[in-house]
Amino acid sequence: MSALSEELRQKIKAEFPKYPNKRAVTLPALHLVHDTLRAVSREAIVEIAELLELHPSEVHDTMTFYNFFKEEDNPLGKHRVWFCRSISCALRGGEELLESVCHRYGVHPGHTTPDGKFTVEFAECLGACEGAPCILVNDVCHMDMTPESTSALIDKL
Amino acid sequence: MATVLVNGKEVEIGANERLNCIQAAAKAGEEIPAYCWHPELSVVASCRMCLVEVGDKKPDGTVAMQPKLVPGCQTPAKDGTVIISDSPKVREARKATLEYLLLNHPLDCPTCDQAGECYLQDYSFNYGRGYSRLNEPKNIKPDKEYIGDQITLFTDRCIMCTRCVRFTREISGSAELQVVSRGSHEEIDIFPGHPVNNPLAGNVVDICPVGALCSKDFLYQQRVWWLKSTNSVCPGCSTGCSVTVDQNEDRVYRLKPRPNPQAQGHFMCDEGRFGWKYSHSDQRLTSPEVRINSQVSTRDWDQTLTSARNALKKAASGKTKLAAVLSPWMTVEEAWLLGSFLKSLCSEAVLALGPVRINGQDEHFPKDVHGNPVQPTRFTIRAEKAPNRNGVQAVLSHLTGEVMPFEELLRLASAGQFSTVYLTGGDPEGWITELQAEAFSDVESVIVQDFLPSPVLQHATHVLPSGTFVEREGTIVNHRGLAQLIRRAVRGPDGSRPDTRILWELAERSGLPQTEVLRREIAAAIPALSALTQPELRDHGTLLNPSQPMLAGT
Amino acid sequence: MATFEPVLFARINKSDSASIRSYQADGGYSRLKEFLSMAPGDVTNIVKDSGLRGRGGAGFPTGLKWTFLPKDHPGPIYLAINADESEPGTFNNRYLMEKDPHQLIEGIILACHAIRSNRAYLYLRYEYGTSYRTLDAAIRECHAAGILGKNILGTGFDLDIILHRGAGAYICGEETGLIESLEGKRAWPRIKPPFPAIEGLFRKPTIVNNVETLCCVTHILYRGTEWFKSIGVPPDPSNPRDPGSYGPKLYCISGHVNRPCCVELPLGVTARELIEEHAGGVWKGRKAKAVVPGGISMGFLSDKELDTKLDFAGPGKVGCLGLGTAAVVVVDDHTSMVDVLHNCCRFMSHESCGQCTPCREGTHWMTKILDRIRSGNGRTEDLDLLLEVAGSMGIIPGTTICGLSDGAAWPVKNAINKFRPEFEDYIRSRKSSITSAQKMMAAH
Repeated sequence: MSALSEELRQKIKAEFPKYPNKRAVTLPALHLVHDTLRAVSREAIVEIAELLELHPSEVHDTMTFYNFFKEEDNPLGKHRVWFCRSISCALRGGEELLESVCHRYGVHPGHTTPDGKFTVEFAECLGACEGAPCILVNDVCHMDMTPESTSALIDKL
Repeated sequence: MATVLVNGKEVEIGANERLNCIQAAAKAGEEIPAYCWHPELSVVASCRMCLVEVGDKKPDGTVAMQPKLVPGCQTPAKDGTVIISDSPKVREARKATLEYLLLNHPLDCPTCDQAGECYLQDYSFNYGRGYSRLNEPKNIKPDKEYIGDQITLFTDRCIMCTRCVRFTREISGSAELQVVSRGSHEEIDIFPGHPVNNPLAGNVVDICPVGALCSKDFLYQQRVWWLKSTNSVCPGCSTGCSVTVDQNEDRVYRLKPRPNPQAQGHFMCDEGRFGWKYSHSDQRLTSPEVRINSQVSTRDWDQTLTSARNALKKAASGKTKLAAVLSPWMTVEEAWLLGSFLKSLCSEAVLALGPVRINGQDEHFPKDVHGNPVQPTRFTIRAEKAPNRNGVQAVLSHLTGEVMPFEELLRLASAGQFSTVYLTGGDPEGWITELQAEAFSDVESVIVQDFLPSPVLQHATHVLPSGTFVEREGTIVNHRGLAQLIRRAVRGPDGSRPDTRILWELAERSGLPQTEVLRREIAAAIPALSALTQPELRDHGTLLNPSQPMLAGT
Repeated sequence: MATFEPVLFARINKSDSASIRSYQADGGYSRLKEFLSMAPGDVTNIVKDSGLRGRGGAGFPTGLKWTFLPKDHPGPIYLAINADESEPGTFNNRYLMEKDPHQLIEGIILACHAIRSNRAYLYLRYEYGTSYRTLDAAIRECHAAGILGKNILGTGFDLDIILHRGAGAYICGEETGLIESLEGKRAWPRIKPPFPAIEGLFRKPTIVNNVETLCCVTHILYRGTEWFKSIGVPPDPSNPRDPGSYGPKLYCISGHVNRPCCVELPLGVTARELIEEHAGGVWKGRKAKAVVPGGISMGFLSDKELDTKLDFAGPGKVGCLGLGTAAVVVVDDHTSMVDVLHNCCRFMSHESCGQCTPCREGTHWMTKILDRIRSGNGRTEDLDLLLEVAGSMGIIPGTTICGLSDGAAWPVKNAINKFRPEFEDYIRSRKSSITSAQKMMAAH
């Protein structure tokens, strides 16, 4: 049983023509696998490496640099919610917003709610400083958040 | 020629030398400290230890210095380059870099194998601050449980120079090592389940400038300051890697590659690195013996040698012939001593080349992800495991013309052609089978010179316990005709003798055995070996055919 | 001075501003064919003559950068578009990509024509999901309209734009970190030389330009260099090496202001103007204590330096590192500079790529010292230690490969030099301002 479905493999291979070598497909492949499987397992790394004609250590080296991809021991929940903690948001309550959500849902930064619904992360500047504090739900930004509006948003996920 | 100015000293650089500032300064006798830079690896300039001031001397004599410090490793030394490595600015930067490197370093030197040959220690002593200004707890990263059969990683000592990672990517090509994570969290690791067990793995211990990567074989065996190093050559294959033999009180603790651009470059394989253990085997032959009708008649060296000499002389004057096997594990000097002595006793003496063991095929590095070799080759482990076929063959050719293979000698022995044979062994993996040894069952005198037991011992009338490569001195010639010296690093076990001494006394030469004298003799007698008197032999070796191109690692 | 008419932001408030139809209705792509029939070198010369300087942070003259490409290179030559906008306080490129992607695409096409590139990689930070989808749709529209792909508008020029999403690493905004990341490696910036123009992406000649820079290229071609040079600040005649600060600039204003925003203005506006006239003043009726002039890596202006002109040269005159991304972050007088500096140091420590020793260790050490100060255990001599550490980091002393380390050191230098009494008072008070939220994050 392979970690990557045939469909995923095809999606990864479809990236090849965009680059002059297969190694450049490392990040696109990691995103595809991570989005679908909610983590990049060791088996998945080995299979990505095979597809890209790399050593697993090379894929893993790149992957761990980005602090973005979850390994199999701590997979993502159904959603991922990022809370900006950089200067513009921190000046306007971003860190406290994160804290309130963690308390309300009983989850620690970097971890997933017990029901698997969402993973909480802190982020460095999300680039929506005009709407500080801002959060990112998956890859969609929401601005001017309060603990109440954040909870309302999460509850609707 | 290019002239480079290092701290005011002029140094000349050859037209074809492509040197960076570290190398140019070394030529001027100035050390520029560095961690990440290694002459055989790609330049990353990340440790920032080799920062220097660099400028250009214009033809009008004025000097324009660059305003910023630059890494010496990354900066080529060209004609007119001005390097300043001892200014207050440079010293401040070094001091700062060392402070950074030591911030989270455990300073566990008393229990660290690297202590005594550690660049953190040395540079801290020479350039460092002497105390830490860190008032917060150190980051201590846990050591790795297992990264390979031969090597171990003390993560907390690592300074992230990435030499080891680059080695596995650029030299072995096996890429087992990686950097994990980012920033102050980063560390070296393997990918789980893919340990560093490639045939060159041990080199990462040598290139680690600190005590992070250690050799399991050497771990906690010896403080390095007790070790005495002897320059020698690895006899593990016909590549002939230049090495140092590190020993204390006649016990070898490790072999390390000795950089030699004419031989292998900077590295060596694990087979050779850990392949010296037989020297301390409890199976070693330690007792000279004369056996008459399977009864040992003497265990005295003088009596044994006299008896062996008499047997040889008797055969030389008799009807049946005198024969000898010259092992490709012998040095040129040993082969010459034995061969020329036997030929002097009897010009008809039959001399054959001992078995040349071939294991598989030459293994070239680096390899790609599929295991195929990639050009350019950076290192080769040779299939031909005998270290000196070239040298012994040259002696044999001179003495006998065409070189007789071992199998032919066996055939003649079985046919009862010989009354006395002189057999030299030396292959630690064994060189003769039970069946082959049968060829000598009816030979009247079988003289065996070897350091380990072999099936032929049961037919031996004379046993001459000899030395391994760490106990001998002499010349071996590698696959491409590079003659190098192996040197005596330890005394062998009581009862054994270095081969040159055995053969010297056997041949009744006067005075003490001297390989130097033998090399002069050989060079005069054998044109193909005339280069043996070159002084370079003592250092990086001398090419028998100097027109051979230099190809390190190939 | 006449009222400034926005150019880069001229269309962003229109409904449907991101569609090709709307862009073309406003004259977009109307002269593309004409420009593509010009000699590439002529396009480069126009950009060079305009005095356009890169908007990503370093302010390097764009046209000059293009001329560093090897002449007569057989190709491929690549354009890499730096859309990894990650400097804290910065969000101007997000507006450009979400609201007017075709303005950017036209700039990309023109730049690629000028540098003879047939493939552009747009490195987009992952967090900009909306930008990704907007650009992806816009690129599809262009292919359908014959504006991208083979034989663009019948001119014989081919170009593909590949969108490449990052994965949350600030250092990918450094041009060689970006290149390494695009190649599938950890984004460790490369040593230079060789510079990317000689050996860049996939070891081929490469130009890396910022999104806003390329948007400017579009307008320079349409409106001419004289128009561009009529905006902004001409070179300082007393400084022969100053190329000036021409053109419009998108300023981001955030932090303690009433109306955080992104506004397009001529280069050279002052921080005070931005705060008072464009961001509705400091919030809650308070005063500004400190202002970040161009992203945190540029350092801080004190309240006495608010009239500093935010052009390429201005911030440097008051001890800041430079204009950076022109992202202004306002800190009010109720906020501790110790806490603000800690936030900056924590960011840099988190984002240091870990390659060069001084940056990897220095950013982490400075954060630890500030952690200790903020726990009530500081000593006044820590301030000198912080200054010394900051002083030994960065490409300016020469101790690192890239500029992140300078950017990590500068806020420390500025904060302590400009606000030292506040730091000393904080330390003497032995108070702790570490919040429970920060403790929670530090535990993970």
